Amino acid sequence: MEENTFEPELIRAIFKLVWERRAAEREKNQLSETEAEAGPSTSKRSRLTSINGNGLKLSCELLRVFVTEAIQRAATIAEAEGSLKIEATHLERILPQLLLDF
Amino acid sequence: MGSDVDRGEEEEEAASELLRDRFRLCTISIAEAEAKQNGMEISQPIVACISDLAFKYAQQLAKDVELFAQHAGRKSVNMEDVILSAHRNDHLAASLRSFSNDLKAKEPQSERKRKKNPKKENKAAEDVLPIADP
Repeated sequence: MEENTFEPELIRAIFKLVWERRAAEREKNQLSETEAEAGPSTSKRSRLTSINGNGLKLSCELLRVFVTEAIQRAATIAEAEGSLKIEATHLERILPQLLLDF
Repeated sequence: MGSDVDRGEEEEEAASELLRDRFRLCTISIAEAEAKQNGMEISQPIVACISDLAFKYAQQLAKDVELFAQHAGRKSVNMEDVILSAHRNDHLAASLRSFSNDLKAKEPQSERKRKKNPKKENKAAEDVLPIADP
């Protein structure tokens, strides 16, 4: 675990932002559908998704693998072309398969 | 009313920008360490590009695991949801599975101790819920 990875708290913050945005959207849709009912919307707000510590660590690992895979695959292409620096063309070559794999 | 919504969106945008920048810093250190291991240099625009890709992926991941947890009737995301998000790639799923086993093996005692109390709370909550439901 001495390898550097993403900060769990940073990933939690990113996840939270997405979940808050989605919860707000859900609420908006509900309000427009049933404006008279105030009950469901408040219960939805308290139902904001959370994540446990190990799940967060695993998400960090997944994102770390994504980044390292991108670098390693691009490095392989760069090496095959006899380059010492990873450039845009190398990333372009590996990008389609990378996105299919994640 | 309209300006209020705008301000909310602006604030959200600013928060998102800040997270994106912090995320980029993390990516840079990971990417440069990885490139060094491979004996490669990497140009900065490429790292930024990979970082933005990973950030988008993180947002997509957030949506996925939330839906998985909801489908399982949970409010909290756990390791199974994260592993499920990688189910299309067997190798990736296996790698995550072994990482999750490592995490589980690492803290069995503290987890067991901690679990004892929440279980009681859960039971209490379960007792209350059926009454509240109808």
